[in-house]
Amino acid sequence: MRAEASVVIIGGGIIGTAIAFYLCKKGMKDVVLVEKSYLSSGSTGRCGGGIRQQWSERMNVRLAMRSVKLFERFEEEIGMDIEYYQGGYLLLAYTDEEVELFHKNVAMQQEEGLDVRLLSKEETKEKFPFMNLEGLKLATFCPTDGHANPHLATMAYAKAAEKMGAMILTHTEVTDIDVQSGQIKGVLTTKGYIKTSVVVNAAGGFSREVGLMAGVELPTESYRHQIFVTEPLEHILDPLVISFVNNFYIRQTKSGNFIMGQGDKDEPPSHKHDPSWKFLTEMTEKMPHFFPFLKEVRVLRHWAGLYNMSPDAQPIIDKSDKLSDFYFAIGFSGHGFMLAPAVGEAMADWIIYGSPEEVDISNLKMERFSKGVSREKNVV
Amino acid sequence: MTECDVLIIGGGPAGLAAGIEVGKAGLKALIVDEGVRFGGQLVKQTHKFFGNEEFYASVRGFEIAEKLLEELRAMDNVELMPESTVIGVYEDGVPILHRPSDTTTLLRPKRLVIATGASEKFLQFENNDLPGVYGAGAVQTLMNQFGIMPGENVLMIGSGNIGLIVSYQLMQAGVNVKAIIEASNRVGGYQVHANKVRRLGVPILLRHTIIRALGKEEVQGAVIAQVNDSWEVIPGTEREFVVDTICVAVGLSPSAELVSQAGGRLQFISELGGYVPVRDENMRTTASNVFVAGDVSGIEEATTAMVEGRIAGLSCVKDLKGITDEKRLKKFQEQLRAFRSGPTSSKVRKGLEKLNLSFPEKLPRETAVEPSYEAYKGKLRPIIECSEAIPCNPCETSCPFGAITIGENINNVPVIDYEKCTGCGICATKCPGLAIFMMQEKEEKGTATVGIPYEFLPIPSKGDQVYALRKDGSVAGVAKVTKVVKAPNSTTVVYIEVPLEEAREVRHIKVVEMKPEAIVCRCEELTVEDVEKAIEEGYTDFEELRRRLRIAMGPCGGRTCRLNALMILSRKTGTPIEKLDPGTFRPPVIPTTFKAVSKSAKGGESSEG
Repeated sequence: MRAEASVVIIGGGIIGTAIAFYLCKKGMKDVVLVEKSYLSSGSTGRCGGGIRQQWSERMNVRLAMRSVKLFERFEEEIGMDIEYYQGGYLLLAYTDEEVELFHKNVAMQQEEGLDVRLLSKEETKEKFPFMNLEGLKLATFCPTDGHANPHLATMAYAKAAEKMGAMILTHTEVTDIDVQSGQIKGVLTTKGYIKTSVVVNAAGGFSREVGLMAGVELPTESYRHQIFVTEPLEHILDPLVISFVNNFYIRQTKSGNFIMGQGDKDEPPSHKHDPSWKFLTEMTEKMPHFFPFLKEVRVLRHWAGLYNMSPDAQPIIDKSDKLSDFYFAIGFSGHGFMLAPAVGEAMADWIIYGSPEEVDISNLKMERFSKGVSREKNVV
Repeated sequence: MTECDVLIIGGGPAGLAAGIEVGKAGLKALIVDEGVRFGGQLVKQTHKFFGNEEFYASVRGFEIAEKLLEELRAMDNVELMPESTVIGVYEDGVPILHRPSDTTTLLRPKRLVIATGASEKFLQFENNDLPGVYGAGAVQTLMNQFGIMPGENVLMIGSGNIGLIVSYQLMQAGVNVKAIIEASNRVGGYQVHANKVRRLGVPILLRHTIIRALGKEEVQGAVIAQVNDSWEVIPGTEREFVVDTICVAVGLSPSAELVSQAGGRLQFISELGGYVPVRDENMRTTASNVFVAGDVSGIEEATTAMVEGRIAGLSCVKDLKGITDEKRLKKFQEQLRAFRSGPTSSKVRKGLEKLNLSFPEKLPRETAVEPSYEAYKGKLRPIIECSEAIPCNPCETSCPFGAITIGENINNVPVIDYEKCTGCGICATKCPGLAIFMMQEKEEKGTATVGIPYEFLPIPSKGDQVYALRKDGSVAGVAKVTKVVKAPNSTTVVYIEVPLEEAREVRHIKVVEMKPEAIVCRCEELTVEDVEKAIEEGYTDFEELRRRLRIAMGPCGGRTCRLNALMILSRKTGTPIEKLDPGTFRPPVIPTTFKAVSKSAKGGESSEG
């Protein structure tokens, strides 16, 4: 194990590995990433894998569009097929409020240069005849949205970073961050001490706990979100489909399985990973209404992961104002995977050059919370 | 040859043994046999024989036949005539039909040794004439002599030694024995044979009988049922087995028709299997020139058949030359008495008594040998799991250090002196019952080395991962092979490392062949090669492999592939399987429809809608 590093990244999910990859790519070789279990064992490996640009907050749209640019050349740049598929995202509006919001969002997204359009109920029916669109008022569709395999993407980043010189330590837990008079001195792990002055907190569901190790309070909280997958069926569903009022998302994987989930407003904050029967009964009752063919389809596996929520459901990408060189890319609120390439790139730029180069992330700093927040509305 | 001193009918163990004694005395003998090869049932016997090493204990049946034939072929005065049948015994001669040329030859031998063996008893049940219903002998002939598998799934009827041994051999050949059923309330054969099949996971269902075979053109299944104390079917206990083969091993009856034709008197003695020739202690029948030996004189087994053959041969010599090696004759008679003195021969003794042949019972030392796990913990030593008094002693005679004692009475159970034992393991390679296991506890590691006598193919290599099976055939887990001892003509002993608490239970292994193109995960059609490649790419956690390859993500939920994938992972990474994380076992355990789950919501507490 390396006893010294320029940067220590805590967390082997998509965010941590993307940061490691971009740091190495931009010339920093002695990077150490510490993961307490295996790569993508936390939220990344449990997520739905969607990649969308249709957000209600402009910052999210920009970050997501930059990410899609990077996803589009992922295989070429990193050398691995991550099952990236641009089948689009179909967002369904059922209330007048949603119709109004969707119109506003699409206008803003188009201003940002996103190829996104409104679909009438009839247009939607024509495109997706197998769906029950009863009560639908409107839909929006962005054909460059899509999905990829989060685990493969994480492994791809990690392997590529390793090749360039990074050290990836799995099954190694950070137990403390050594801070002396406002300076980071090192990181204590279950495999020994690593001397470093720069630490990146990319600990996902455990971002708050890692912050506390350095004496930094971070306003994130983790919530269990559940998800399940069906047996594989013939490919029929290209886009990932979301309804916010009906509280679901669904997509079909490359191998034909349908993956779907919902949020639960009554879920208390926790680090719980066990799935519940309640979730399964609610989903199996709800989903066949929209996708009638699901009634006879069998559920294969059911699991849960953590949404690391920030107060406005948007990521926090910042460095501490109390402690030098303690960076964090946290609080992704359930959409970290899709933002990871842009965040990894921005974070690496910030650490190496002092500021993000490709994309403006200034609105994702902590200071926004003191001004009063505008919450991201397009969240399941 | 048209003139001979002794005509021996039947070239099985009894006939060949008789031929050797006649040949040794310089008399002319002809041995006639129906088969293409001499040796009778011996040629089908791939298991090691019980008994005394002087009578080929620990040697496999087909090898015994070879040894006997080698001896006979060296004798100019003994001729072997295969593919020939004695079609009758007439007052004016004995005609032999040579089947390939379809010609007969008439012989007038001075003495006749009839060693025609036995035929299989058949069981009456509905559809027992369907193709796929076999006798155990036919199954052995097909499989062991001609290399033809009788089927894929077999129901064995009868738990005598033949039923047990043939079941084991079927499993060795890769045929699945679904169950062995037995009408009585106890296993008929030796305990050690029953233990052998049990640890393969083959159930032995006592108090069960077959009611009918299912199928139109061929066997497609069988219906069995429980029986009561009077062996009547208990209605409502019927159950079906999907099998393509029903193997009947319900016993043998002596083939004594030629004895009768020769003027020998037959008597029905159920303990001996049916109509048997009345004969004296020298194997002479009531027709003074006619002798018998082997199963034709009463159903027993090959060792006693060989001894009887020797006695019959020596008796012919005495008749014809007026003199014989009396010492040798006495020795054989003594051997027979020793063999028949134990509890497993009580039925034979009872039968022989009806012929006024007295074979005294000698109570063997039957104290079960309690494996002393405690006193010699940590020492590499054999654990002898042989607590039934059976006539067998190769453990005693093979031990170079005199640590194992059977004693005078061959039916005694073995006693081991661990002070003298060096842990060489020779006894484990010799034991015909595969009932000796090697063991060494390693308390500090929490493991134990267990040496398993293994007679299956392929033989694993050191470092391989194999399934460790318990006495009842259940899987205890995956174990690493630490040593393989191959002994020429004996049993291979495979040493594996198991958790300490499983050491007294693990008694068999299952080797999983890892051919590169073999499927590991059937749902996702992943091969060994796919898994190995992913591991080489750096996916060294089971969960990483799962997400990389989708292994264990199919409808089976990993039931088939999880352990296999972990074994490959362990082999490739050198991490012991018990140290690997087997990954998460996610619900639902079986694929469940939306309909089925949502229905439960109606009665449940927590539905939103």
